[in-house]
Amino acid sequence: MYDIAAEHAPAIAAAIALLIFLWLAVRALSVLAHRRIRWAVALVEGYLATSAVTRLAAVLMLLSGVIHLVLIPSHEGITGVLFVINGLGFIVLGVAAFFTSWWRRPALVWLVATIVAYIVWVIAGWETPDQIGIACKLIELVALGLTLRLAQPGRRTWPRRIWRAVAFPLMASVTTLGIWVGGLAHPDALHAHAGAILQPVAAVATPEQRQAAARLVSDTRASIARYQDPAAAIAAGFKPGPVSSADPLRHFENSANANAVLDPTHPQALVYAQTKHGLQLIGAMYQMKRAGQWGPDPGGPLTQWHQHEGICFSPFGFEFSFETPFWTCPVGSTSITTPPMLHVWIVDNGKLGPFAADLDKTVQKQLQGS
Amino acid sequence: MSITSPAVAASATPSTTSSPEIASVLVVTQASLSLVAGLSAIPFGIVEPGFRVLSLITIVIAIGMFWLARNLRRQRRWARRWVIALEALSLVASLLLTVLPIGAMRGPVPVLVNLVMPAAVLWLLWSRSGRAAFKKAERSDAGGAS
Repeated sequence: MYDIAAEHAPAIAAAIALLIFLWLAVRALSVLAHRRIRWAVALVEGYLATSAVTRLAAVLMLLSGVIHLVLIPSHEGITGVLFVINGLGFIVLGVAAFFTSWWRRPALVWLVATIVAYIVWVIAGWETPDQIGIACKLIELVALGLTLRLAQPGRRTWPRRIWRAVAFPLMASVTTLGIWVGGLAHPDALHAHAGAILQPVAAVATPEQRQAAARLVSDTRASIARYQDPAAAIAAGFKPGPVSSADPLRHFENSANANAVLDPTHPQALVYAQTKHGLQLIGAMYQMKRAGQWGPDPGGPLTQWHQHEGICFSPFGFEFSFETPFWTCPVGSTSITTPPMLHVWIVDNGKLGPFAADLDKTVQKQLQGS
Repeated sequence: MSITSPAVAASATPSTTSSPEIASVLVVTQASLSLVAGLSAIPFGIVEPGFRVLSLITIVIAIGMFWLARNLRRQRRWARRWVIALEALSLVASLLLTVLPIGAMRGPVPVLVNLVMPAAVLWLLWSRSGRAAFKKAERSDAGGAS
């Protein structure tokens, strides 16, 4: 669900380069300080006098600052201006942490303001959350937590204690929810149902593509007709998938067909609907071998493959939920990305059509009631 | 030849307590992310009974991690042992998932959250300064008790 935007990719190189530069700078300063060069001694003493908590908070702010500065070219207008201010602010505060005592409060304000601004931008749809943006927020959240820990203990009243205990977890939770809400509120054109990413295709199908799509449906229907009885499918090597209370459709997979590519005679799975009279064959599912490996689309936009990502899969009961923007899942489940798949529905799938990622809800209800 | 400003000297804290402090912040961050993961699975529990249990377990573990982080900051040795065990388990599970072809680790965010953060906590608690901080706390506790 959250990929790396191409224009944000340079941030990774910049972050790695900064860490290498900082390491080399500390080594070089140490060498110069050993030679009793006065300004180097001052810098090294300033560095050594700070606690590891301060040092890490400073490095994280420098990282965030450099990431913001590197991303300026990909952000226009007011967002770009804010990136300049933000990046420079973080660098000033990161450096100030080593040599001043006033940096902590401005850093807290800067970090909270940056995180809140990102949430607002994402929810408003002015910024698309991607892994670079989310990783940057994680860096800022940890920097915020460290900076909060450096607070001098004040009066030990209960409201203060409670606030100190919940402020940081609350901020981390609000950030997660904010990014999530923003991402779900403004999905891009390639998001089908939640967790399904569609193959990029042309907008309009050519007459040849329409013919090819119709041929794929008829070939698939003819090929799988022999599996109307689930027992025939099992005899042919298809294994029934687990029953899920969340999904009334059952997939029967055949691992022997794993290497076939969009071959109607060797579909990777058959799809049955649970009706009052037992299982009814409603379609086939073609699947590629690896995630990100889109299959051939003879029907162009009509035969658009999709892959599932950003979902938490639990082997206990074959169930799914959504993973958070920080890529966390409930204990006992794991994030998975499926290889691309293409459904071919041999029943009338209403408005969604024969290649939709999902079965039309109305059709599904009719089948369940039949 | 020291030219360190008094302000800097005043802001400095003893480095032996830094490892537990940093580790506790990282554990609180992990706990917060786990808490949201657990809470967000609750709606799925309406139709998926397995996620009812998993979300509840996740929330309980997240609360436990908050408690461990608090005691880590207070340099309790039992908290250190528990956090090391949990983080090691988490790291091993994440490494196994990285090897499996299921796309569990794609991009910087899962690597930071599932690999770098547990590894950092383990390193902080296992490092010489980390061990020293907990030994020092134990000695001061024993000294205070005698």
